[in-house]
Amino acid sequence: MLETLKVFLRNRKAAIGLAIVLGYVAVALIGPLFLAADPMARVGRPHMPPDADALMGTTRMGRDVFAQLIYGTRTSLAVGFFAGLLVVAIGTVLGIAAGYFGGLIDEVINFCTNVVLVIPQLPLLLVIAAFLGQTSPFVIAIIIGITSWAWGARVTRAQTMSLRRREYIQASELVGEPAHRMIFVELMPNLLSIIGFNFIGSVTYTIITQATLEFLGLGNPMAVSWGTMLYHAQNSSAIAVGAWWEILAPAAAVAGIGIGLSLLNFGVDEISNPRLRTLGTIAAAAKAQEKLDRARAQGKLQEAAQ
Amino acid sequence: MAFVLRRLGFYVAAFFVAATINFILPRLMPGNPIDIMFSQAQGTIPPEARAALIETFGFATGAIHEQYFSYLKSVFTGDLGYSIRFYPQTVGERLGYALPWTLLLAGTATVMAFCIGSLMGVFAAWKRGGAFDAVITPSSLALQAIPPVVIALVALFVFGVMLRWLPTGYAYNPGLDPEFSLRYLGSVFYHAIMPVCSLMIVFVGGYLVTMRNNMIGQLGEDHVIMGLAKGLSERRVKFNYAARNALLPSVTSLGLTLGAILGGSLVTEVVFNYPGLGQTLYIGIVSRDYPLIQGQLLIMTLAILTANLIVDLAYVLLDPRLRRA
Repeated sequence: MLETLKVFLRNRKAAIGLAIVLGYVAVALIGPLFLAADPMARVGRPHMPPDADALMGTTRMGRDVFAQLIYGTRTSLAVGFFAGLLVVAIGTVLGIAAGYFGGLIDEVINFCTNVVLVIPQLPLLLVIAAFLGQTSPFVIAIIIGITSWAWGARVTRAQTMSLRRREYIQASELVGEPAHRMIFVELMPNLLSIIGFNFIGSVTYTIITQATLEFLGLGNPMAVSWGTMLYHAQNSSAIAVGAWWEILAPAAAVAGIGIGLSLLNFGVDEISNPRLRTLGTIAAAAKAQEKLDRARAQGKLQEAAQ
Repeated sequence: MAFVLRRLGFYVAAFFVAATINFILPRLMPGNPIDIMFSQAQGTIPPEARAALIETFGFATGAIHEQYFSYLKSVFTGDLGYSIRFYPQTVGERLGYALPWTLLLAGTATVMAFCIGSLMGVFAAWKRGGAFDAVITPSSLALQAIPPVVIALVALFVFGVMLRWLPTGYAYNPGLDPEFSLRYLGSVFYHAIMPVCSLMIVFVGGYLVTMRNNMIGQLGEDHVIMGLAKGLSERRVKFNYAARNALLPSVTSLGLTLGAILGGSLVTEVVFNYPGLGQTLYIGIVSRDYPLIQGQLLIMTLAILTANLIVDLAYVLLDPRLRRA
């Protein structure tokens, strides 16, 4: 485990991405502990520029932008990770089912996947969210989750189909392993990198989409999140009156987590697909692999000695 | 030909699904769908309009399958009912007015992002690990992860409010009449610069990375090494041998990202107060104009499916194997 982590951190993109994401998680977990309990409280005059009292200024309602930002981090990350799990769960189950069982099941799932892929996501989300009324961040997470699984299902299906033709899978089938064992013991471990890739991508997508939906006025305006902050800023013409802090703070927060997550994803991609590595990383990876082999060989020697 | 026909059949089926979702959604909500639709617009709509709305939407009476067929009939004849917010305009009229502006914005941004991104991807892959690749690839990745709304807001603040270089709203100078004159077209161009560029910047990175990764895969192939061994010029190997094959997966990804660009365009329009679908929709959402919100799903699905069909045709042009089949 520790060795895997070392190889992982040797990739600079993955390491920086991980650091950014962990920083956000830390802020979300412990940040609110240092702040006043109510981010919606009025703490000063409207549109006060940043100063010592309000680190990032105040909104038009006189609310503290910094406090809202920290509380918003909690909401946005929670929605992102929850919907990410949902997307991955649906996509993986459908992808494996289609790729493993084939036949009619594959035809039906594949058709549904392709249809969902071509129906434009945001317009569809707008219709669903509009009928649900001003929805809480949690409900937004659910509707994003149930409409965004198609990409993951398609990729998982393709990988499952290619794995299914491998000799070791066919051998275990001949031995008579039951389907559940085939899926969970033989297939799953080889799908892990795709599932992880899908998860990180889905979290990024959800955080961005939630902020967009709320910006368009489809969230609950009383919830504190980056999207509602942008919505209130847009509605109070913060830009036109020069209150840049009200826009810039949530904008930078969304951009930062997006960059962190996509660096992480790109790093993981490079690690699992050696062709994408640049020469420096290849040398570093080769060295890491050598060390790993040596450590393993030593471990085996010790085992043998015992 | 068979390939294009098969795709066409699939697109008709996909549109059917979108229309069905539109039909089912209001009926899944608790309470009477008509009451939901009008709850926010009480008093603003005369009773006879209400009756007309109910009729065109097929909510009337009758068994659910009868409602469904009369709904499908009105959708396929292009009748999307009346808008609540913009009454007495119909949804079709209202969206028909807004659609060209959105297509202009999203279309220009797509073409620019795809061409610039793919071209930069070719260069980044050719000198992998070089200075260009080391700077442009990570920074385009970073840009790609930033939502369009953030880029648009920051651009509006910097170039529109702080520097005052570009207009902060509208599609053309309101003092001009829409006509085919240089002054009017110039004004349209001037007003489109900021929305188009901020939308393009978000998507350029995706195409760059796709192209770069495909291209790197191609560079290891025998036919490229053969081309180099034959002593062909670098340019010829780069574009005719490697890039042409690497372009195929890029075209596939173009089809898949069209929906995201259209969504990005909606948000960008709201920020720049641009008179396209996004801005119309924003007004519709604020005033809970359900027929308008539903109509946009159908119109945008139609736009995406048409664009996908064009991408398929491009695919046939690029891949000779499909032409023979």
